[in-house]
Amino acid sequence: MKRTTIPFGPQHPVLPEPIVLDLILEDEKVIDAIPTIGYIHRGLEMMVERVEYTEMGFVVERICGICSFMHGMGYCVSLESIMNVEVPERARWLRLIWAEISRVQSHLLWLGLGADAFGFENLFMHCWRMREEILDIFEQTTGGRIIHSVNRIGGVKRDISDTELAAILARLQQLGAEFKETARVFGTDPSIRHRLSGVGVLSMEDARAVDAVGPMARASGIAMDTRLSGTFMYDHIDFQPIVETAGDCLARVLVRLREVDQSIDIIRQAIDRMPKGEGMPLENKPRGNPTGEVFTRLEQPRGEVLYYVKANGTKNLERFRARTPTFANIPAMIKLVKGSDLADVPQIILTIDPCISCTER
Amino acid sequence: MDGDAFLARVRDYHEAGWRLAIINVTTIVAAAAPTHAAHGAAAALSTAALPAAAPAADTAPAAGPAPAAAPAPAAARAAEAPNVFEIAWGFVKDGTLETIREQIVAGDAVPSVSEFFGAAFLYENEIRELFGINVEGIGVDLRGQLYKTATKVPFSHAAIKDRLAKNAAAAAVKRS
Repeated sequence: MKRTTIPFGPQHPVLPEPIVLDLILEDEKVIDAIPTIGYIHRGLEMMVERVEYTEMGFVVERICGICSFMHGMGYCVSLESIMNVEVPERARWLRLIWAEISRVQSHLLWLGLGADAFGFENLFMHCWRMREEILDIFEQTTGGRIIHSVNRIGGVKRDISDTELAAILARLQQLGAEFKETARVFGTDPSIRHRLSGVGVLSMEDARAVDAVGPMARASGIAMDTRLSGTFMYDHIDFQPIVETAGDCLARVLVRLREVDQSIDIIRQAIDRMPKGEGMPLENKPRGNPTGEVFTRLEQPRGEVLYYVKANGTKNLERFRARTPTFANIPAMIKLVKGSDLADVPQIILTIDPCISCTER
Repeated sequence: MDGDAFLARVRDYHEAGWRLAIINVTTIVAAAAPTHAAHGAAAALSTAALPAAAPAADTAPAAGPAPAAAPAPAAARAAEAPNVFEIAWGFVKDGTLETIREQIVAGDAVPSVSEFFGAAFLYENEIRELFGINVEGIGVDLRGQLYKTATKVPFSHAAIKDRLAKNAAAAAVKRS
């Protein structure tokens, strides 16, 4: 049969980000997909040659506008472990709270995009209305809606007062109650089920074989979550990774729906357990230049992110590398796209929650 | 590097249920002068443990990948092919990360680990395109299509030297 090559992206209605895939088709079946992840490559890892390590954190935060807080956190945590800086306890709790708020934000954003992709525009509006409230919380606590720049090597720049924390929690719980109605639509609407269930099935064996991470792996029945390793105060939190077993597009939606509730619960536990009071220390400033190297792993909304930092005693780092979750999930995406119908490709690509700006560091 | 011994170690990780988390070039070592070789061999060995001290800082004012010295096997060949890369294969299981590290002289072949880990092809295409490392037997060969960069091989030794010289010149202009 004659083969056709169809370029998917860089401009495609399903995703505002420039993902580039060359799909090779036989009739309507995709038989191969060739990814290009350098369409908007920015060379941020190269910038360590010019930008000093103290300022690099702000560059790293700009890798992505959705996980920006956790990118900044990952960079600062890496430098702290190289430079043996002890972060004050309240700062560590605040980081956890902001990280979980950004997870809620990211999932709501993605659920909206997902709804838009299968034609539920009203659902999209509802998700993004709720996300807007999360952005308001970020603006109120960090001063920035998307780029927060609140992380510093050795701690955080701003405190959130206890009364403010209580108000945020009340607002989030109110949001969680409202979200139940939206989640019900995602979970039970027959046309959504018809569109998503059984599409793009990634079995548990396949998920292991292609080293999938994050919600992608959890939707295929692998209880994998970097937060389980108990670093960054997660050892003080009771939670279990959210796992679905079907491995299809619907399972990936359901995992993220339940993770919104889970994150709000984690924030509640954190606010409950963190030390209270005004004027607590938030930052221990590092001294001198860093020497050493470290791998740091965090659980971002899209899955495990890995940073490699190597410093040689000068004010510029020797190597900086970020392996983002989307990059790790590209082999899984290609695996799913191969053998699917052309009409299902947008759905499959969207449910891995690709963040192209993360991938094109 | 010893390809067979390396692949045997990778197979052990695969069979014990580890997940490939990253293939990362950790050190880009440019042409070491022979006098530095002995010092460099000792320093490079210490990077095997995590976290560990990096090779001693050089005195060059320009920052970025430091021209630290080459390890022992590479140093022996330093005369004809002095540029060295250190590559780390990172594996994760139950919250721990372990690495296999190998040092190669630029241009040497590195065996692919695609047969054990399905995600390896992406990292291998990446290090080939960005660093110019010659990976043999990649599972899915993307033939240089993965990245579209202005510099053909942005992290090759020549490209880095070029950039560092430009950065230093720009800094000198700024100072004056």
